[in-house]
Amino acid sequence: MDTLLQILVNGISTGAVYGLFALGYTLVFSVLGVINFAHGAVFTLGAYFTYLLIGGAVGANGLLAGLQLPFSLPFWAALPLAGLFTALVSLGVEATAFRPLRRFQAEPLLYLITSLGAGVIVVNLLQILMGAEGYSLPTNALGALPITLSIGGAQVRTVQLVLLVVSALVLVLLTAWLEGSRGGKALQAVSEDATTARLLGINSDAMIRLCFAVSGFLAGISGGLVGLSLSITGPYFGISYGLKALGVLVLGGLGSVPGAVLAGLIVGTAEALVPGEWSGYKEAIAYAFLFGVLLLRPSGLLGKTLVNKV
Amino acid sequence: MRFPVVRRQRQWQRQLSRALPSVLTALALPLALAACASRPAGNGANGAKGLPTIGAAIALTGNASVIGQDQRIGLQLAHTYFQGKGAELRLQIEDGGSDEATATNAFRSLINAGVVALIGPSLSQQAFAVDPIADRGGIPVVGPSNTAKGIPEIGPFVSRVSAPVAKVAPLSINAALKLNPQIRRAAVFYAQDDAYSSSESKIFQKVLAERGLKPLTVQKTSVTDTDFQNQITDTLRRNPDLIVISALPTDGGNLVRQIRELGYKGSLVVGNGMNSPNIYPICQKYCDGLLIAQAYSPEATTPINKAFLALYSKDRGGAIPPQFSAQAFTAYQVLAEALTAVQTSLPAGKTLAALPLPELRRQLNTTLLKGSYQTPLGEIRFSPEGEVIQKQFYVAQVRMNPDGKSGRFQLLP
Repeated sequence: MDTLLQILVNGISTGAVYGLFALGYTLVFSVLGVINFAHGAVFTLGAYFTYLLIGGAVGANGLLAGLQLPFSLPFWAALPLAGLFTALVSLGVEATAFRPLRRFQAEPLLYLITSLGAGVIVVNLLQILMGAEGYSLPTNALGALPITLSIGGAQVRTVQLVLLVVSALVLVLLTAWLEGSRGGKALQAVSEDATTARLLGINSDAMIRLCFAVSGFLAGISGGLVGLSLSITGPYFGISYGLKALGVLVLGGLGSVPGAVLAGLIVGTAEALVPGEWSGYKEAIAYAFLFGVLLLRPSGLLGKTLVNKV
Repeated sequence: MRFPVVRRQRQWQRQLSRALPSVLTALALPLALAACASRPAGNGANGAKGLPTIGAAIALTGNASVIGQDQRIGLQLAHTYFQGKGAELRLQIEDGGSDEATATNAFRSLINAGVVALIGPSLSQQAFAVDPIADRGGIPVVGPSNTAKGIPEIGPFVSRVSAPVAKVAPLSINAALKLNPQIRRAAVFYAQDDAYSSSESKIFQKVLAERGLKPLTVQKTSVTDTDFQNQITDTLRRNPDLIVISALPTDGGNLVRQIRELGYKGSLVVGNGMNSPNIYPICQKYCDGLLIAQAYSPEATTPINKAFLALYSKDRGGAIPPQFSAQAFTAYQVLAEALTAVQTSLPAGKTLAALPLPELRRQLNTTLLKGSYQTPLGEIRFSPEGEVIQKQFYVAQVRMNPDGKSGRFQLLP
């Protein structure tokens, strides 16, 4: 029973981060109708920024070998700051990989290519600057908090609970902002119809930039949390999470915020429930599950069925 | 009248031509950056005239890059050291990545560039895919870190300086049992999608069974895994007092950290894939106590090891070389010395460049396998199949410094 509890806590906390990460995809998809393939790279950057802000040093193999910031922040300060940096990077991605094509009203395929290119550039720059080695956030990153907690007889890593609490907090704040603020409502209006929103006096371009900034912030926070929990396994570690989050996005229903959260929790828990001896195949099991759900419900769990008008 | 689809295509072409510069820049820049990253300064020119070139395809990117980075240093130091000592050679290093496709491209690229011999790839998994290409072309390949069963058997042109897992792996289990004779319950983790890890784990499991420690559980992971918590939970509920891991540095280091964080206090034996100080930043203070069998001792007092230690220390700010650097140095050394021997056998005034490349490769391979070499790994030679014959092996225990950032591989008596 305690083992099951431990597995469930792991699954739900991992799933919450999946959901948070997938929300970044969802926001951009809702507004532009395209998938931002640079999102995984921004996630990776979030982990690296958190690592550096917390006082981590660059390893021996990058151009910045040995570099260490002259200050070190506690994790609680480093994480949101890393999110702000990744929000700026995401704005840079929007300005270089999306805005020029939007001006030409380019086909969605081109956005995929340019955002993929932007992501690859970011990852390669990271490798040149920081080396290809893995990094771990310091084991005492959570300060005085114990490494593990005993809950109902189960040993749970404190970091998993931190993941769960921070993800839930960010999700609540995001939902409150989307539903309760003028900015959030304007963003929803642009996602409904950018042209009509512009006619109603909403600056659609500014809203798209805001959307990228929020998406980048979410990716950065997710990257920092995963880096804290599982370490940064090199510049490419965002790729598998990016693919996973794409699966979550589709499972939840393209453009559905609650769908992304629900799907994140489902995928995280489903992976956690794969028996230990079969864990090597958990990715295959997760994607098989996704495949099966989409066969039964192509629009995703909470997505709307799209009707083509002719 | 135009069909809508044609109009749409033309519109798309116009848009594409406008957006093309951005798209091409986006696609070309990372390739250029990757090329910069993978080609260290000071390497020989591609296909340089006159001098034989040794090509190396090692993992500079991907999850085995921590191995490849150690190897790059070893190769560069060897290239520097052997300049002016025998045959003049060039060294060309390519990124062989951590997967079979990238290694294949790197091997083909080096072969097309006319290298006389190849060093690499970093992983056994890759070696099974790419060594046959070189073997079919009659190009000698020396594996610097391929320890899986069956590597030299790939073909007559394939050899290795990395001792097979069957020789090395049992030593660390023996050391763990010597340190703690009370060990009764063992568990095993290995990366099922990596040939070296699978091969090593089979040896580990066989040795455990021979010592009466049939594993309580065998957990299969993947080299790309980062979250092992559920497998660890499943394992720890069986109360093991020895956990044996076969994985690569990044996933293995991560696994060690999570095992310790979840409260495991028993012995940890890890395989050759984690035989690098590059694991320190990953498992940090939790690396302390890991037992790893070694094919290299920095404490050896042979002249060549002293020279290697001095070169490495000067290059890396006083650090002690890891096994992968020593093995890469050795791989270059055996080729350099064999080429020198081939040159010496030529009539006076005739250089290696005078030999047709296929003939030079053939002579190199024959000479390589006949020779005996004083290397940082000690005296080594090869079996007729290309298997390394090495006399001494060691077991080290990782000892982390109190800062949890640095440490050392302390050899056990």
